[in-house]
Amino acid sequence: MIARLSPKAKTASLASALALAMVGLGFAAVPLYDLFCRVTGFGGTTQRYDPVAAAADPVVLSRTVSVRFDANVSPGLPWKFYPEHPTDTVSIGARDMAIFIAENNSSKPVVGTAGFNVTPTQAGKYFTKIQCFCFTEQRLEPGQQMRMPVLFFVDPKIMDDPDARDIQEITLSYTFHPVDEGKKAS
Amino acid sequence: MTDIAATAPAHGHADHAHDDHDHDTPGFFVRWFMSTNHKDIGTLYLIFAIVAGIVGGVISGMMRLELAEPGIQYLTGWAQFFDGAAGDVQGKHFWNVMITAHGLIMVFFMVMPAMIGGFGNWFVPLMIGAPDMAFPRMNNVSFWLTFVAFVMLVGSMFVPGGSGLGAGTGWTVYAPLSTSGSAGPAVDMAIFSLHLAGAASILGAINFITTIFNMRAPGMTIHKMPLFVWSVLVTAFLLLLALPVLAAAITMLLTDRNFGTTFYDAAGGGDPVLYQHLFWFFGHPEVYIMILPGFGIVSQIISTFSRKPVFGYLGMAYAMVAIGVVGFIVWAHHMFTVGMSVNLKMYFTAATMVIAVPTGIKIFSWIATMWGGSMSFKTPMVWSLGFIFMFTVGGVTGVVLANGGVDTNLHDTYYVVAHFHYVLSLGAVFSLFAGFYYWFPKMSGRMYNEFLGQLHFWIFFIGVNVLFFPQHFLGQQGMPRRYPDYPEAYAFWHLISSYGYVIMAVGVLIFFVNILWSLVAGKKAADNPWGEGATTLEWTLSSPPPFHQFNELPRIA
Amino acid sequence: MKSLKTLVIAAALSLGAVSVGHAQAPAAAPAEAPVAATAANPAPIAADAAAPTAAPATTEAAVPAGDANYVPMKPTPGIGQPVAKGIDFQPQVSPVGEQAYWFNNVILLPVITVITLFVLGLLLWVVFRYRAKANPVPSKTTHNTFIEIIWTAIPVLILAVIAVPSIRLLAQQYEPPSKEALTIKVTGYQWYWGYAYPDQGIGEYVSKMLPEADAKAAGEPYQLAVDNRMVVPVGRQVKLIITGADVIHSFAVPAFWTKMDAVPGRANETTFTANKVGVFYGQCSELCGVDHGYMPIAVEVLPVDRWEAWVRSKGGNPAGPVTAVAAAAPAPAATPATTTTEAVPAAAPAAAPAATN
Repeated sequence: MIARLSPKAKTASLASALALAMVGLGFAAVPLYDLFCRVTGFGGTTQRYDPVAAAADPVVLSRTVSVRFDANVSPGLPWKFYPEHPTDTVSIGARDMAIFIAENNSSKPVVGTAGFNVTPTQAGKYFTKIQCFCFTEQRLEPGQQMRMPVLFFVDPKIMDDPDARDIQEITLSYTFHPVDEGKKAS
Repeated sequence: MTDIAATAPAHGHADHAHDDHDHDTPGFFVRWFMSTNHKDIGTLYLIFAIVAGIVGGVISGMMRLELAEPGIQYLTGWAQFFDGAAGDVQGKHFWNVMITAHGLIMVFFMVMPAMIGGFGNWFVPLMIGAPDMAFPRMNNVSFWLTFVAFVMLVGSMFVPGGSGLGAGTGWTVYAPLSTSGSAGPAVDMAIFSLHLAGAASILGAINFITTIFNMRAPGMTIHKMPLFVWSVLVTAFLLLLALPVLAAAITMLLTDRNFGTTFYDAAGGGDPVLYQHLFWFFGHPEVYIMILPGFGIVSQIISTFSRKPVFGYLGMAYAMVAIGVVGFIVWAHHMFTVGMSVNLKMYFTAATMVIAVPTGIKIFSWIATMWGGSMSFKTPMVWSLGFIFMFTVGGVTGVVLANGGVDTNLHDTYYVVAHFHYVLSLGAVFSLFAGFYYWFPKMSGRMYNEFLGQLHFWIFFIGVNVLFFPQHFLGQQGMPRRYPDYPEAYAFWHLISSYGYVIMAVGVLIFFVNILWSLVAGKKAADNPWGEGATTLEWTLSSPPPFHQFNELPRIA
Repeated sequence: MKSLKTLVIAAALSLGAVSVGHAQAPAAAPAEAPVAATAANPAPIAADAAAPTAAPATTEAAVPAGDANYVPMKPTPGIGQPVAKGIDFQPQVSPVGEQAYWFNNVILLPVITVITLFVLGLLLWVVFRYRAKANPVPSKTTHNTFIEIIWTAIPVLILAVIAVPSIRLLAQQYEPPSKEALTIKVTGYQWYWGYAYPDQGIGEYVSKMLPEADAKAAGEPYQLAVDNRMVVPVGRQVKLIITGADVIHSFAVPAFWTKMDAVPGRANETTFTANKVGVFYGQCSELCGVDHGYMPIAVEVLPVDRWEAWVRSKGGNPAGPVTAVAAAAPAPAATPATTTTEAVPAAAPAAAPAATN
């Protein structure tokens, strides 16, 4: 089809196609960025444990790393949210459980959902969550207090990464946001 | 390969035969409002850019007035003037509106329309020996879209934008300040204005690419094109690849604001940092979009007034291509403090510094063009010399900022403000003035006043340096950007900087006097007022050129 | 059980410290936070009794009771803040800052100055030598492969020379913080900062800009002075966990060469080590709305013993359950402990987010 166009129309069509492709790429950046973060741990994105892929449990090393738990509540969510312990020391490769506590201080039921990341960012690739309250929405009745567990381990592969193996402490940070019924996840 | 010079002028006089086509000139309304003539559209763009430049310049004058001494002196009053009932908060919001408007106007409605819409439209067809642009009607659509975009942006300053009237998000429109942080229609209007301006530029880019690829006169091979045409070609590709990404990014801003999506909202699984990546993926090529045509203009002028072909033509052309390509892979150096891993920072540091190499090639090639030349120092040449030096100063501070470790301290300080004004306000704007004086005789048919041109240069040169050089000091001392007020310690250099603005403004006044005087009483310009150094095809035509030129295509040997 | 006892002692001590300080130096602390002032009032007598006995129980016996008191330090002119007519960076007090300052002022600045002067020199030379009068007949040279290679290769070499210290500086900035680092949680709000010391059990307190009159009265620079500073011990690495509550802010202290964006929904981490006692100011460095220019940062660097006294004045435990067993105590345990001190937790986590808008 393009072959039959005049040379000017051909150039213009190709240029327009290029522009349209870039628009597409702009929008495609959203899922691509998400994927990129998941694969590389970019921005401190954590890994999710896949029982199928991980046939054998990771080896537990004698080296330990401190894990700090950080909790935030976005303005507009009338909750109190804090870790049971601010830090914990875990052996690399060993499973560990941390408890976060959320309390609804308001007089009506509120649904919240948590976003998260870890710092330093290069630790994201090695911080694997087996089970987490952040995977689902949480509903708290007025005055209700909920203990929410996170089950995780630090992947022993961290010891092979020259940029990450000297990390002494990994901070796992959560931010609880109110779930607005009008807003859907993108 | 580069000496079109030797052959082109021989064909020039053929065109005077076509002067009789001037009686085709349409009536006033059709000519200026439904224009399909590249020269008329170019003129419209230039007038538009001057008007927008005055608006943006007045805003910066108001900012320098407010910043002349510590404390808030005028903001509340200005907000009162625009807003009716206003207080302290509206005053400070008005400040953010001014920085936003100044940035957007200067980038999208002054530099880009002048460089690409103005000089690009006027001289690309002339220089490649084409009768007009490939799509004259689309060309007209581009201009009027830009015009509507500008009206819309200025209009956004008068509708509610959160804490006061207007969009106070900065020209970068970062989420979430631009989403949950700014209620009211002002930000929507500003975003929509960017959509329109972007669409106009994309259409323009398609037009230029098609024109340059298909409408070159016989013998005008791609490697014989004047460097200005090269620069517009590279710029058009940058526009074509960068602006659609901006359009996508700000469309998602709009839906986040109005339709409940959460692309940039952490509450719904989005990430505000993604917006910054998308914005700067556009934003960094954007700075080359603003400066590359300037490189082209300066190359033509240096060659003309040294009476010598451009040194290292191929190197010059491909250095621009290299700058364009590398410009797409360095964007995150605008985001060094956003929280990124060390490897990423090292990569962006290294990639950014690489840009200094092709830029250096250009600077040295300009000097080598003059080397051995026979230079005359007419106004356009003086501006070009000023450009080379000022762009070097802005370029080397760019090398400092490229270092991620150093940028930690300088990021978002006045050092950055000084840096990008040196490359834009003293780089791009110097090249615009150079091009304006260079082509004024061709466009208007009259000579500008040489004395006023020189005076304009020296006063402007002193003014902008007094204005922007102290801002390096402020930045090193820690003064952050986008502040309406500051601690006492910064007062001295801010005051000097404001004095610099006044000097610069006097220079700009002389420019306007010069234009008006020259249009009315300027000497009639010859076809080629610059002598044997001016070898490109536009100088083979009459001054001003006939309404339709090259009905018989020139042949370049 | 043991840790609980320590906490109670610490709480009592801190109460005593504040009230004694309040009595001894009432005039010196007009700019002090109202929170701390009211905290001191309820139980002065009990605290007076507790303070002398409690002090020996903790480690630093050498510290006289008066020193256990926290009075905001006066800033040193020319340190930690901009100076009038200043053109250079603020004096650097952290190792990273010293390194970066050296890199800029010893390598980058001379290199770019030489390059700029070189270009200027070439320009002046061609203007002089090849003006039409001096050189009426232009040469026709348009190529010289050798010189083109030279002016490509030399910039590459210069950049390579710059890259080495640049990469080294980045590596130093990104060295993982040590286990002993003091962790401070920083939250940016429209338009103030919140600081919390999770390991010391100091819940989030708010740091706002002082009004002009108060700043002048306290002898501090207006628009930099704040009511409640971030207080850190000298020489100890500090790890900041930074986030934003509403829009993006940026935490910056020029004298430490520190700047990190506070992005909502995401924690960022950066470190600094201040090797000099004093007050160091910074300002929000990312456009965040109307009062972007009015949410300064003030970091007070104190000798270790006085920092510990400050921690106690805030109802915290300076020893901090850095790791292991003691970790059980802080957050939950601190809350009951502070109920006795009443006013201190007014700025604590629960109140802070609610107070933001």
